[in-house]
Amino acid sequence: MSTRHPGLLRRLLTHRQGGAGLLLLLAILLLAAAGPLLWPGDPWEMAAPPMLWPGEDAANPLGSDVMGRDLLTGLVSGARVSLMVGLVSTLIAAVLGTLIGAVGGYHGGRIDAALMRLTELFQTVPTFVLAVVLVAVFRPSVATAVLAIGIVSWPATARLVRAQVLSLRGRDFILAAETYGMGTARLLWTQILPNALPPVIAISSLTIAHAIQTEAALAFLGLGDPNVMSWGTIIGGGREQLVEAWYVCGLSGIALVVTVLAFNLLGEGLNDCLNPHLRSQ
Amino acid sequence: MTMTLLEVSSLRTSFATRSGRLGILRDVSFAIARGETVALVGESGSGKSVTAASILRLVEAAGGRIDAGRVSFEGEDLLSLSPARLRALRGGRIGMIFQEPLSALNPVQRIGDQIAEAVRLHRPLSRRAAWGRAVELLSLVQIPAPGLRARDYPHQLSGGQRQRAMIAMALACDPALLIADEPTTALDVITQAQILSLLAELRDRLGMALLLITHDLGVVAGVADRIVVLYAGQVVEQGPVAEIFAAPAHPYTRGLLDAVRLDTLTPGTALPEIPGLVPPLDALPAGCAFAPRCGRADARCRSAAPPMPPGGARQAACFHPLPAPLPGGHAA
Repeated sequence: MSTRHPGLLRRLLTHRQGGAGLLLLLAILLLAAAGPLLWPGDPWEMAAPPMLWPGEDAANPLGSDVMGRDLLTGLVSGARVSLMVGLVSTLIAAVLGTLIGAVGGYHGGRIDAALMRLTELFQTVPTFVLAVVLVAVFRPSVATAVLAIGIVSWPATARLVRAQVLSLRGRDFILAAETYGMGTARLLWTQILPNALPPVIAISSLTIAHAIQTEAALAFLGLGDPNVMSWGTIIGGGREQLVEAWYVCGLSGIALVVTVLAFNLLGEGLNDCLNPHLRSQ
Repeated sequence: MTMTLLEVSSLRTSFATRSGRLGILRDVSFAIARGETVALVGESGSGKSVTAASILRLVEAAGGRIDAGRVSFEGEDLLSLSPARLRALRGGRIGMIFQEPLSALNPVQRIGDQIAEAVRLHRPLSRRAAWGRAVELLSLVQIPAPGLRARDYPHQLSGGQRQRAMIAMALACDPALLIADEPTTALDVITQAQILSLLAELRDRLGMALLLITHDLGVVAGVADRIVVLYAGQVVEQGPVAEIFAAPAHPYTRGLLDAVRLDTLTPGTALPEIPGLVPPLDALPAGCAFAPRCGRADARCRSAAPPMPPGGARQAACFHPLPAPLPGGHAA
């Protein structure tokens, strides 16, 4: 009588894209976490002759940039920054978007109309330009970058949650919860949100990928935290030696592409594994 | 009538449609005494479920509006209650179960958690105590291995078990009235019978009243004390089950009864049916709503709506009621 679905993790690992994304991401996480132990040192420190090519010296396996800073130490530091900025800003976007979408979808009427106009306002302004303005207005730092990226990233989540809540609103179990005396806040929190969450998780993975790109772009423009070595900083610093030392931009670019790809693949996998209509196929 | 638990009088409920407000309930009155089982019977679209939703004031969320009438429960007027008091009554004194238990249970919450949640809304219990109460309720509705089943999600249970779980949730706080909206329609015949006998048993054991909403008179026969027949948003006949089954007074009730008396059929002949369809509510005939489908209707039925005679255990809104049976004989 009872049927057991395999756990999400197992389903994800057997999913081609999802599994690849998850493994790739684990590798990146491991590097980011273990990096400072394996290659200790300040990424800003001039530790080698400038423009040392990868493989020339075993002490600096990935070479050095124009200032003689070790590239491997920089890349590992960049991984930490990228993951941190991506995760925290996406968390901000997910919370903001869920709150706005859920309240709008549940209440409907004027509150919904007002919140959706606000969402559209944010969607019509190019997100990167808005992020640049926000960071430039405040002092560039990791915190302002995280906040700015979070503030420009919520609209997609808000629209998604609103659509979910609208469709759940008319379902029998919501009505049933009302018949046993549940109030609005509790109804939203215990009945509607848990059912609306799976697509939010899937879209959040894509939001992280986009947030990482945005952070790199900000750092490339010199709007990153001046004390933090991020991938965008390395690419920005290496762009003048693009011909003589292309590996500086190339390696950090590859790191960026691989990380964004990992989150995209994971998002794809989560979307398939969390979608009950695709699950049975 | 000191024993009256629920009294619905002259209830009118309407819904907004593109072509204006549409009256779904057009004067519904009936009463339920403590511990009594009343069956609300009618075809699809007759207003049975809207009546239930109006009693608990759930129509408001669905875009409906109660225009007139009174619903009093244990002496309180439900239609003028504060939201907080209404929430306390819903699930506290009045429980409700639905037609399709799979869609009426939260798919991502364990059965036990859902029941515990319903308990904790009305009683100041700890999580652990509420979980204990949930398991107790599951065993009350005769689910085998209730401690294990409480950890299951709705999709892991069978249809009958889900309906039992739904009943357990509605019983969480010992309601005085249980509203069952087509509780067996989605179940197979064997499970139907089991759920009905469970409902009857629980009613007797817990001393609660039961409002059974159904289109199936077969369901009514064994469980209900009284029948209220709805047609196009109005009560057309009501009375004790035995009397109505023996001698329906309203031609519509008679038609409904003929449609379920399969034992009198000869194989190969067409199934008995009431000719025609329920009239659309925005195009009701001037007189009796049933007149276009009624073999007994005359000019008077088509021009004036027959009133419901006041009072009495047995009422039928008809100008030409069917004659009562001769003593010891069969109905005409």
